[in-house]
Amino acid sequence: MVNENLVKDVVKEPYKYGFVTDIETEKIEKGLNEDIIKLISQKKEEPKFLLDFRLKAFKKWQKMKEPDWAALGYKKIDYQDIIYYSAPKQKEKISSLDEVDPKLLETFDKLGIPLTEQKKLTNVAVDAVFDSVSIATTFREELAKHGVIFCSISEAVKNHADLIEKYLGTVVPASDNYFAALNSAVFSDGSFVYIPKGVTCPMDLSSYFRINSGDSGQFERTLIIAEESSSVSYLEGCTAPMFDTNTLHAAVVELIALDDASIKYSTVQNWYAGDEKGIGGIFNFVTKRGKCLGKRSKISWSQVETGSAITWKYPSCLLLGEESVGEFYSVALTNNLQQADTGTKMIHIGPKTKSTIVSKGISAGNSKNSYRGLVKMGTKATGSRNYSQCDSMLIGDQASANTFPYIKSQQPNSEIEHEASTCRISEDQLFYLQSRGIEFEEAVSMMVSGFCRDVFNQLPMEFAAEADKLLALKLEGSVG
Amino acid sequence: MKIIEKIKTNKSTDNLTEIQKICLHKLQSSPLPNPKSELWRLSNKSKLSNFLDYSVNENNSKFDIPYPKNSQSTVRLIIGENFQIKLIEKNYSIQQLSENELQKYIKEQISFFNQNENWSYLLNLSLSCKNNILGLKINGSKIPPIEIFSHASSNSLNAKTLVIFLEKNCNVELLQVNLGQENSSLSQSTFFCLKENSSVNHGVVSYGENRSNLLNSLNVIQQKNSSYNLGSLHFKFNYARFEISIKQSAGNAKTNIKGMQITKKDEQISTYTKIEFNGPNGFLDQINKSLADDKSHAIFEGSIIVPKIAQRTDASQLSRNLLLSNLAQIDTKPQLEIIADDVKCKHGATISQLNEEELFYMRTRGITLTEASKLQLSSFFEEITSFIPISKDKWDLLDKLLNEN
Repeated sequence: MVNENLVKDVVKEPYKYGFVTDIETEKIEKGLNEDIIKLISQKKEEPKFLLDFRLKAFKKWQKMKEPDWAALGYKKIDYQDIIYYSAPKQKEKISSLDEVDPKLLETFDKLGIPLTEQKKLTNVAVDAVFDSVSIATTFREELAKHGVIFCSISEAVKNHADLIEKYLGTVVPASDNYFAALNSAVFSDGSFVYIPKGVTCPMDLSSYFRINSGDSGQFERTLIIAEESSSVSYLEGCTAPMFDTNTLHAAVVELIALDDASIKYSTVQNWYAGDEKGIGGIFNFVTKRGKCLGKRSKISWSQVETGSAITWKYPSCLLLGEESVGEFYSVALTNNLQQADTGTKMIHIGPKTKSTIVSKGISAGNSKNSYRGLVKMGTKATGSRNYSQCDSMLIGDQASANTFPYIKSQQPNSEIEHEASTCRISEDQLFYLQSRGIEFEEAVSMMVSGFCRDVFNQLPMEFAAEADKLLALKLEGSVG
Repeated sequence: MKIIEKIKTNKSTDNLTEIQKICLHKLQSSPLPNPKSELWRLSNKSKLSNFLDYSVNENNSKFDIPYPKNSQSTVRLIIGENFQIKLIEKNYSIQQLSENELQKYIKEQISFFNQNENWSYLLNLSLSCKNNILGLKINGSKIPPIEIFSHASSNSLNAKTLVIFLEKNCNVELLQVNLGQENSSLSQSTFFCLKENSSVNHGVVSYGENRSNLLNSLNVIQQKNSSYNLGSLHFKFNYARFEISIKQSAGNAKTNIKGMQITKKDEQISTYTKIEFNGPNGFLDQINKSLADDKSHAIFEGSIIVPKIAQRTDASQLSRNLLLSNLAQIDTKPQLEIIADDVKCKHGATISQLNEEELFYMRTRGITLTEASKLQLSSFFEEITSFIPISKDKWDLLDKLLNEN
């Protein structure tokens, strides 16, 4: 047994993104009904098809029940006690970043997100979403030269309504699940990406989500369309201030890849997780799904989940196109009283489709970390393959790690392999490293990052470094 | 009288035992399990309702045991045959439990495993009458192998219950054979208690005929230093369900499980296992194999629960599946729920068909395709069949599996 006193002697690294930006915001009243939805739609000057989409989703949502199958325990969410629209007050139209409220720019600066054009060197285009609205998108002109559309979804509704109408809700239908229905009814903003035929996006695209007010929920929606033979790498980051109330975040992400297209979607999720007593934190209920429509298309999800009090998230791939590929690489870290129920779904529909799942769960403190996945081979998925690997690491004897893989096959000409293991940081390894003069905490952090290496290798470079640092920070002192 | 009517009208309450009354009462409010619950959602609803279509058979007709008793030393028992068992020899004793002991023990086990609402037990315990419950207390050393038969006769539902108490330091081989005749249903519940230092090689062979159904549930409590080895085989059932719950009540025990289910035509056979470690140093090695052909459906769900107290548990679970037809399907769900940190737990699952390269190799050596696939299947089966005690010298299971289906 590793020294138990050290486990208890938790040195807390404060959540460094926990500040609140004092900015005047425009909020609508709490509660959810048809009038609120109409009001949101009206504020965003949306076309009729979108309002109808929202109202239909709301009707469905009212008939649905909140799912209770996940291995999560949380207090009931009062959906009438949430503000569904909150936006920082600023000038009507922003033509350049100079017109964005400096306070907002400062906020994103503090978060390390380069919005100002001087920071172009990083070569990442950013769409920054603050509470319910997108406040800025960088590098638009550069992207436009290649025909890439990267903007907030509200702008896309205005400028590219045809694309939105064609694709919105085709991957995650409004009636898909309780939280997707809620999102479809009230989504306020998010990102829209369109990569035209044959274009390799010249830079990584990224969106950054920031929840600022404590009583409003965040419901963003992301839609990425990759036309034939195009490719894009998309990064997503998120933070929130520390409040002692729970904030609801219910997002929907839809990806569509046509023939030979590839989409790589990476997330570093660092919402506020609540304090060590489990007070506060974000309730994160996210539906992410990609549709490999075209032949040889590829969708790859990589995620590092370290934040949120509750995580309910299953980025999935529908593999329709012949020889399409789905990938899922995940590291989920839970500490204190965090609970995560996360995993993926790989639905093989077309022939010769392939999928890979690598999931690493680390549970420390009193947390609960579950992997839940589905691999399904449909009757037409001849010659398809899946490989899944789920490893859990337990730190301390209060944390729990669960694995629930569902595997279903209706196609004899396909192969499914699944393996899972559970281990802990072994005393021998720790002793070895320490005997070589490596500090205790550093040794632990080395072992954790070794454990996660398969996943970190899949992350874009700057994300991988950030993720590694984040894990070390989150675990600091919790290892004994 | 059909069972559903019996449950609803509940006419002869006076003759019932307390457990029967409680179970019957629960069934009255919901005669079939909730199809939305995780444990029942994959079960074929119409096949399941077959159980309620037949009438209950309380009087057992004679039946022919499929293989001869070729050794004098084997103890052979048939549940439902009215006899008194009292075998007291120099080294060992096998005695029947009294009715009070039985009732008390079944009640305890049901609540210990939290099976109060489990439909399989409710159905079994509400319908199995006094004649169809067999309880044995086994003690001593050099105990001869025991065979226990349960059978269901055509056009009826037969509920049988078996309770086995294994005293300290006992070591026994026990084969349970469940036979279903054409158009019959068998509900078999087995309760095992292994006292300290005891060990058992338990075989379960369930063998049906055309359109027969089976609900087979098994509860095992293992005390310290006990060792429980289970080899099971289920085949030729229209619908069969095997539920295994094992609890190592204080850890420090060994469990080995090797199970197999084979489905053809439109059959559905499922295995649900739940293994809990209630103390440190527990060991589990489990393998479950399924083979699904034609339009059949094979299901495996296995959960391993390792609470905080179960430090240094070593558990592994493997689900290997062969899918041989375009219309067949396989569902498998191995699960781990772990809180203790100093444990070694792993599970694996594979679904595939027969290995083409191996087939090709054998064919280049002049072996026909049929022979080559048989060879492959026999190696797939043999790992399990060789683990089933007693049967191997009398009943060529492998031959039955390869040639009869």
